[in-house]
Amino acid sequence: MKRILLACSAGMSTSLLVTKMEEEAKTRGIETEIWAVAQDKAPSEMKRADVLLIGPQMRFMKKKFAVTAEEVGIPLDVIDPMAYGRVDGKAVLDKALELIGE
Amino acid sequence: MNRFMEVLENVLMPVADKLNNNRYLTALRNGFMVALPLIIFGSIFVVIANFPFLDQWISEDAYATYQDTLGPASAATLSIMGLFVIIGIGYKMVEQRGGESIYGGVVALAAFLILTPQVLDEVSGVIPTSILGAEGMFLGIFTAFFAAEIYQAIVKRDWTIKMPDGVPAAVARSFSALIPIALTLTVFLVVRIIFSYTPFETVQNFIYTLIQEPLTVLGSGLPATIIAVLLIQVFWFFGLHGQIIVNSVFDPIWYALNDQNLQAFQAGEELPNIVTKQFIDTFIVGIGGSGMTLAVIIGIFIIGKSRQMRELGKLGAPAGIFNVNEPIIFGLPIIMNPLVIIPWLLAPVIVALVTYFSMATGIVPKPAGVIVPWTTPAVLSGFLATGNHIMGAVLQLVNIAIVFVIWFPFLKIMDKQYYQNEKDEAA
Repeated sequence: MKRILLACSAGMSTSLLVTKMEEEAKTRGIETEIWAVAQDKAPSEMKRADVLLIGPQMRFMKKKFAVTAEEVGIPLDVIDPMAYGRVDGKAVLDKALELIGE
Repeated sequence: MNRFMEVLENVLMPVADKLNNNRYLTALRNGFMVALPLIIFGSIFVVIANFPFLDQWISEDAYATYQDTLGPASAATLSIMGLFVIIGIGYKMVEQRGGESIYGGVVALAAFLILTPQVLDEVSGVIPTSILGAEGMFLGIFTAFFAAEIYQAIVKRDWTIKMPDGVPAAVARSFSALIPIALTLTVFLVVRIIFSYTPFETVQNFIYTLIQEPLTVLGSGLPATIIAVLLIQVFWFFGLHGQIIVNSVFDPIWYALNDQNLQAFQAGEELPNIVTKQFIDTFIVGIGGSGMTLAVIIGIFIIGKSRQMRELGKLGAPAGIFNVNEPIIFGLPIIMNPLVIIPWLLAPVIVALVTYFSMATGIVPKPAGVIVPWTTPAVLSGFLATGNHIMGAVLQLVNIAIVFVIWFPFLKIMDKQYYQNEKDEAA
């Protein structure tokens, strides 16, 4: 089970991505739990995630999140703007799996 | 051009980082978020209580009874929103540092009430609700900051009562908060006493005359509004969430202006302000999201020949209706795209001017002060924000048309480029 956490301003635009990523994971037969939260919820949600992906518009939060991410020992990165704009579930899922180290 | 963009990005990123990670601004933003569901609840009931044409269908008495029956819904939420913001800020301030956050909320509330006049028309034991709303908001915000800081400083010094082992944890916790809370509130009581010897008499009066009034007057003016709108656009151009960054500074002012309008609206008086939270949220941002991209999506459907544009339009439209526009911003793309910088910066400014002057001249009613959730689709949101007035919806349609016209030539160029690229690739 791969637990992928997405964070953006209100968890709205990332939740579009969640649906697409779930579809992609399903076709590949990967068991995942993918969910999107608002930025202020991200630090507390990180504990039960394997990886954190940040919406590009919130990339200035990366430094702050990195502190917590290190504490709980998970990787994090900013989602590629183009992949984000195209709501490219495949590319973002690839990125998440790559960060988890699969 | 690229070098220039790099320089700007390097300037903006640290600003965004600073503003967003500043612990007071973060607490302020999150504190408002605590209050938001309550504010929206109250707003919905103001909208229902002022349902259009109802006053013509039923008798005057019945209408008055109807409004009185629904009144408490907004009186208990919207009109005293300052209280929720204060509790929210105090809570979030202490939570950030990993403390017992609920005590942060209540200590902020009590500190604020200590500073608040408890007399109205010489009747003592009364707290005027106006002071718990927008009028008291600025003092409330500062009080919450200071109260939480003092509380935390004392907790950190460990000036707390420690219970022996065997005392239930809940009991031990309330005792451990006793000294920090008592000392914090004493500080505020002393402040109150000191102010009672000044010409201002209360801290409320002092803050109101010295800070809040000048700030709200400044914030309600057109120049400050244009600057705020432009800043939001510039941040977004670099792919940074403009509203989150700019609103954390402007929200207290915009909400205060909003509340002044609401009180006038409910009293049936003339609305004092044009620029309010809803001016920005409903008429500038709430037409597809920042930069009013609903008009851009419409443009894509009308002129889009390239596959890339059409796909993006389909992707962006459903979310765009509810004012979520990241697909368009990152997908078109708008960010870092020199081609669209002109319409991106220009359109919201023109729309702000048109909206401002159509309200100043009375063609469109001013925002009534109700908070319409930002995900409410355009046309409906304009109707609700102006206190159920059809001209609010019309103005939004006009704004969409304006944005569309400004964007049209630029979209056309972009589409042509994409179309050419796609043809070249296919060949």
